[in-house]
Amino acid sequence: MNRLLTAALGLAPLALLLALWQAATTGGWYTSVLLPPPIEVARVFGAQWPDLLRHVGASLTRVCVGLAIACITAIPLGLMIGRFKWLDQITDWTIQIFRSLPGIALIPLAILFFGIGDKPAIILITLAAFWPLIISTIFGVKSVERTLLKVARVARAGDALVLRDILLPSALPSILTGLRLAAGAGWLTVVTAEMMAVKSGLGYYIMYAQTTFRAEEIIAGIVTIGAIGLLFDQGIRLLRHRICRWQEGLVLES
Amino acid sequence: MSLLELDAVSKTYRRGQEVVQALDSVSLSAGFGEFICLLGVSGCGKSTLLQILAGLEPADSGAVQIEGQPIAGGHPNASVVFQEHGLFPWMTVERNVEFNMKARGVGAAERRSVARDFINRVGLAGFERRYPHELSGGMRQRVGIARALTTRPRLLLMDEPFGALDAQTRSIMQNQLLDLWQDYRATVVFVTHSVDEAVFLADRIVIMSPRPGRVRSIVPVALPRPRDRADPAFGQCVGEVLGLIHDDLRHLMGA
Repeated sequence: MNRLLTAALGLAPLALLLALWQAATTGGWYTSVLLPPPIEVARVFGAQWPDLLRHVGASLTRVCVGLAIACITAIPLGLMIGRFKWLDQITDWTIQIFRSLPGIALIPLAILFFGIGDKPAIILITLAAFWPLIISTIFGVKSVERTLLKVARVARAGDALVLRDILLPSALPSILTGLRLAAGAGWLTVVTAEMMAVKSGLGYYIMYAQTTFRAEEIIAGIVTIGAIGLLFDQGIRLLRHRICRWQEGLVLES
Repeated sequence: MSLLELDAVSKTYRRGQEVVQALDSVSLSAGFGEFICLLGVSGCGKSTLLQILAGLEPADSGAVQIEGQPIAGGHPNASVVFQEHGLFPWMTVERNVEFNMKARGVGAAERRSVARDFINRVGLAGFERRYPHELSGGMRQRVGIARALTTRPRLLLMDEPFGALDAQTRSIMQNQLLDLWQDYRATVVFVTHSVDEAVFLADRIVIMSPRPGRVRSIVPVALPRPRDRADPAFGQCVGEVLGLIHDDLRHLMGA
């Protein structure tokens, strides 16, 4: 019952938007060539779903590969930087500079270097996901309770054990928050990159629809992107719930 | 030869411009299996002294010897029970208790069986799979004590471990600690600011005074165990100790 209510509340603004959209088309505020009615968009899903699915698959693969690379590199590096002060001092400015560069700004450079295809897209996604991940990992390590490190020192725990059994689990909630941000950034980047640097994926689908002047396809693409973004986010929340069970009752639900 | 020998240990902290002399030429010894309480108001350096013994802080000057050997990095076989219990919130009771053994490279099977023994010994059987936040304050501290004992320490350092507990739980924990101490015969250095607690627990009470942190006097407690708080001799001892720290208190109240 509670779940149903949550779903209903979450969907309410979307339903309102849909109603407004319907009203706008039936009221004729825009010509239906620019703003097709919802039913037209639904028809796109009905007719082109194999095609759409293929593009979704292409985009998802890129995002997942990019995120995975970012996780493999950013999390260990972040753990080290958070642990060792001198590493933090060396890297702090560099991280601050690079993280404020929008990934989109690097698209032209990526195309120059890697041409058109999966490579530039994945590299851009990795970069976009890398910064929020490394920053939240560093933050998570730094906010470990001091006493716990003292416990480890008195017990003469080695660096590897401290990293694996104390710093990583202590930073995990923060890392997962970073992963949520990273997934968002990665998703944003993939669509943009696909508009310019690749010939498949949802970004490409939308751009192609624009050149053929098919507004209903553009909107179908946008709806798909939004839906996947929501699913991704929910998935990571679920993951956080699973692996941070020890946190329950300690912190406010996030 | 005693287990622990401190000779003229000093420690100074600098906080910006301010210089705080936490310990001024503290000398002290503890015998094998002795229960020592460090007693004093806050700021008397008793926790600093404990940190030095644990190897968490270096002393500025003076010598610390364990069993006749000078030490730099803390006692190789000491365990600490911290005031804030220091349990890992993401580990179950069982894994928390296993941690010190894991740090020493004890194999998983042995870890498990030793941890089970100590969990039973402190009366937490059935709570092995709980997380710390699911336990009461007293239970958490018992997990901390169990963890500290698993490596059979020669020296058990306790930093106001019962400070955050209510009076009743505190008294139960004190009795349990004495039972464990009598079973495992570690030398205990126990920091407290409660005179009653010190008289109840200690073989000898080391009374410290603040600014700079010094040993004011050392009071042997000759009362037989188990000690009874209703015994007039107990009250007399408390009165004696209180008298000794009275000056410090008055000084701190600004009189």
